[in-house]
Amino acid sequence: MTREKGTQKARRTGRMKTPETVFLGQLANQQSSKYRLAQGFGVLFAVSLVLQAWAFANVFSGMALHQSFSLSLFVIGLFALLIRALANFGRERICTSASRDIRYGLRSKLVSHLTNLGPARLRIEEDAALSTRVYEQVDALDDFFSRYKPQVFMVTLIPCVILLSVVSISWIAFFVFMMTAPLVIIFMIFVGHKAAQANRRQFNVLAMLSNQFMDLSQGLSELKRLNRTDEARERLSDSATSYQKTTMGVLVLAFLSTATLELFASLSIAMIALYLGLGLLEILPWQVGSSPVTLTQAMFLLLLAPEFYLPLRQLGNDYHAKQKAEAAATDLLEILDAPLHNAASQQSEPSCTTQAKNSAIADQLTSIQFENLSWCEEGRYRLAPITGTIRQGERVWLSGESGVGKSSLLHLLLGFEDSYEGTFLINNLPFSELDLASWRAKLAWLPQTPEWVNGSIRRNLLLGIQTPSEDEINAALRESQCDDFIQALPAGLETTLTELGAGLSGGQMQRLSIARALLSKADMWLLDEPCSGLDNDTAQAVLNTVKTASKGKTLLIVSHDTHPILWADKHWTLTKGGLHEQSRKENRQAIA
Amino acid sequence: MSSHVKKTAKLSLKRLLLANPWGFVIPLLTGIAATLAGVGLLGLSGWFISAAGLATAMGVGIFFNYLTPGAIVRGLAILRTAGRYGEQVTAHNHLLGLLRILRLWVWDQRVAKDASNLHQQSRGDLLQRLVSDLDQIIRWPLVVFLPWVYALLAYVAVSIFAYFISPVLLWPLSIAALLHVLVVPYVCGRFASHEVHVGQILGVHRRSRFISLFSALITLTIRGHWEDYAQRLCELDERQRRMEIRIQQAVSLGRLLSYIVTILLLVSCIYLVSSFNVETGKWTLITTVQGTWIVGFVLSILAINELVLPLVQSFVAQGQSQVGLRRLNQLHHQPEAIVEKPIPQIEQLLFKQWRGYHAPSGLGSPATDIKVNHGEFVWIRGTSGSGKSTLLASIAGDCLSSGDAFINNEKHQIYCNPSYQAKLSYLPQAPYVFQQSIAANLLLGKTNASDDELWAVLDAVALGDWARSLPNGLETLLSAQGRNLSGGQRKRLALARLLLRKSPVLLLDEPFDGLDKATIETICHSLQNDYKPDILILVSHVGSRLGDNARVIEL
Repeated sequence: MTREKGTQKARRTGRMKTPETVFLGQLANQQSSKYRLAQGFGVLFAVSLVLQAWAFANVFSGMALHQSFSLSLFVIGLFALLIRALANFGRERICTSASRDIRYGLRSKLVSHLTNLGPARLRIEEDAALSTRVYEQVDALDDFFSRYKPQVFMVTLIPCVILLSVVSISWIAFFVFMMTAPLVIIFMIFVGHKAAQANRRQFNVLAMLSNQFMDLSQGLSELKRLNRTDEARERLSDSATSYQKTTMGVLVLAFLSTATLELFASLSIAMIALYLGLGLLEILPWQVGSSPVTLTQAMFLLLLAPEFYLPLRQLGNDYHAKQKAEAAATDLLEILDAPLHNAASQQSEPSCTTQAKNSAIADQLTSIQFENLSWCEEGRYRLAPITGTIRQGERVWLSGESGVGKSSLLHLLLGFEDSYEGTFLINNLPFSELDLASWRAKLAWLPQTPEWVNGSIRRNLLLGIQTPSEDEINAALRESQCDDFIQALPAGLETTLTELGAGLSGGQMQRLSIARALLSKADMWLLDEPCSGLDNDTAQAVLNTVKTASKGKTLLIVSHDTHPILWADKHWTLTKGGLHEQSRKENRQAIA
Repeated sequence: MSSHVKKTAKLSLKRLLLANPWGFVIPLLTGIAATLAGVGLLGLSGWFISAAGLATAMGVGIFFNYLTPGAIVRGLAILRTAGRYGEQVTAHNHLLGLLRILRLWVWDQRVAKDASNLHQQSRGDLLQRLVSDLDQIIRWPLVVFLPWVYALLAYVAVSIFAYFISPVLLWPLSIAALLHVLVVPYVCGRFASHEVHVGQILGVHRRSRFISLFSALITLTIRGHWEDYAQRLCELDERQRRMEIRIQQAVSLGRLLSYIVTILLLVSCIYLVSSFNVETGKWTLITTVQGTWIVGFVLSILAINELVLPLVQSFVAQGQSQVGLRRLNQLHHQPEAIVEKPIPQIEQLLFKQWRGYHAPSGLGSPATDIKVNHGEFVWIRGTSGSGKSTLLASIAGDCLSSGDAFINNEKHQIYCNPSYQAKLSYLPQAPYVFQQSIAANLLLGKTNASDDELWAVLDAVALGDWARSLPNGLETLLSAQGRNLSGGQRKRLALARLLLRKSPVLLLDEPFDGLDKATIETICHSLQNDYKPDILILVSHVGSRLGDNARVIEL
């Protein structure tokens, strides 16, 4: 019967095996040895369950009939109860440990995957939301792996053991169990299936609700200025209320599956109790005058009856654990399924050819060449085919409308995207064969929004570089025109930067990242609109600093026409049609 | 319901319990009914069967009234099912209601904060509070309170039964009840509370480190030092894991202890009601006690055992709820009542010795005198870091300031003054775009604007063609924080929203950032014609027609 249930289930999931169930199954298989051990404890639990029922049944019948009982049987019963407790204890410890291993392993895998995605991670979600997935969503798998997964085995095991021990005692009780168990399962599937769909929808709505709250909360200062906070509150309240209403509609149905289980379990217990009672009174309609069971046997059956349905009921209660895990798995899979085509995978298999190329890139950077280089995604050009060359020491100004692929080109150069088409050569070597780490070590990155970690300004300046001398730091600060405002800060270089900045303006932050680039002594600077937050005078002054500091370095600077890079050796204009190059002279004329 | 009370009150578990008393009483009652029915079902069937067996053995089986107990057994079975179902449905309804109340409470606390403190909590921290703390707290009545009440009542019911069997049984029963319901869960809760607390703090710490590291991902990666930093993230995770192990140990051990208490309870009860008979070598029940009753009694104790097992976990959950509450209460903010004078039609703005600054660093703009008359356009210029933006924010009443502000020669308090802010529109450097449709974002400026008005204002900021090119037009959903918009589009959309308000004073901080000349021209044209404000104060490092015709203030 329970087998039948197992196959039924397999068929059902086989028919609609979602990526989520496959994913969760794979994760569980990682810990299969622990789960096997837990199953061993489960067997011990089931056996002691029967032993306990047998011992207590004897004690009870003795008590009822003779007002006396055998001490040894009573002790055996209690001992079996203790074994049950210990088996449960062991099982719980093992299952939670398996769940922990799965979750913490998965989490580090997620973090490293996100790392390898680089800037592309932001296309899934922003960092804060990603952190929710990496932490909360992974923890949402806990109940599934620590409770639901092992419980599935218990659901098969315990009824089997009980049926085996009952069959020799009473055929009627055996049949009652046999008849009701499949009914329970059928109802569970029937109702549970509908509930599962509804449940999933409900999770989505809950996520939407959280999202709405975060969104309104982050834009709160905007709402306050617009004097729309009350409307927003009303919106929150309305959506929460309507969520409550729709969810309750769903839950009324979802709990029906649990209630069906309860009803069958309760009625079966009552039926067995009644049957046994009437049997003992020898007034069963078909058996008047004789009793089908002795009192001991009756007691034994009665004690086992609730245990027969208990695992099933528990599984019904834990059903939402599965829903929760599947909803979380959807989010996690979105991260893990994000295509990874950067060199992280390539690094893991160091071939002879790569080794040979390493030395090539360890030398001075001599040239960067693009030939019909393009980057297509979902049938849309993120970067139209471009052709061009940057030689060592050349400083290139790249301009163009927003959305034309300027940033994408920089991401390609940073080595975070490998799915480009066309030729992309560094020092006449294909980019894909470069040793990424030594290539990246040559780069300095100055994005639109400066990159900062929580910590002092000093720590941020020295992020990931050899600690330079104090003089070098001061020189870099001077060159980047940071010295004035850092002196004005009460804590100077030790001022802490947080996610919210430290009261420094966007321009000041940007200048700090220029100081950082100066300190890193990189060969090639990639600047992504570094001046978009600065006013003309400062921008010009900073660009002059960049000009003097980057002498002999190779530079690719993305900047709008509003901040012309007059001293650039080349001016590239990127359009949907490709790259147009103007020489320095034309460049100056165009500006003039 | 009591939204006004909620606005000012701190949260507590008690308040949470009483937030919606009727919503709570129904699941409580149905749950109690289900629990008692469950315990009764097992106890009564035990008694019924043993009594039936006894009756037959004594030869009085025919006269045994089996109908009543049989009916009661069936009745209890149905009652238990219905009760469980009712409890689950109503309890979840109550829980969702709590979620709503809590969310609104958090919202009210956020609204009550003044502008410069609004972003005091870092975003990661806020997220943590909202996502996990609320979940922890709403679970409290369901996971902690209800099971506790059920266990207690089951004990009371069995005690009454025990009293009729033999009053002496009350002793072990009450001791076991004390251990089961209070001592064991409390000890486990205490044992785990430190870990729960540390775990929660680690959780916040870990998340903020995650966000901080990932926001510098590229720099760290190209410097080749990402591994070191990622390692430190892993260490935090490892510590969190150790906390989790200890909490789990406390819970598992607590369950084991509960089992042992049950076993000891059974031993002592049986010992109290029986005596050793040397002749038969068996233990015999004392004469005043009916064996059939003892059977029922023992079975109901086994049923109670199942009820008390979840309690251990519940006290750990209680710790989690309390930590969550404490952290939510940090959001609590007592709004100060500001006496506001009504702001008249603004004819003239005058700021004397005016200086805007940020609270933590004290950095800000130099003290200046600014006077702007009706119909005047002012362009504030200055080098980067001279405090233009801070000055503008303080004029908008969004940022701390010193000095005096006069409106039509009358002194007013403008910081966080809603009636002053109702008269002006302020475009900050990084305006927020909501994760709603384009239309919904715009309608925040004017709730009853027609589609024509929306298109007109989009054209005014040169976004009309872009919006028309979208397949869903005005109904296009914008992604979180307008990430599918460029910086310039985001800013223009926010500007369009402000223009819809047609407020007399317009304060713009770098509206032309990252825009091409034609777009700047379009916006200038709109601001000088259809959407012309009475007073315009502009901070920009980009020259424009608007700036050319304005009075320049150099900072």
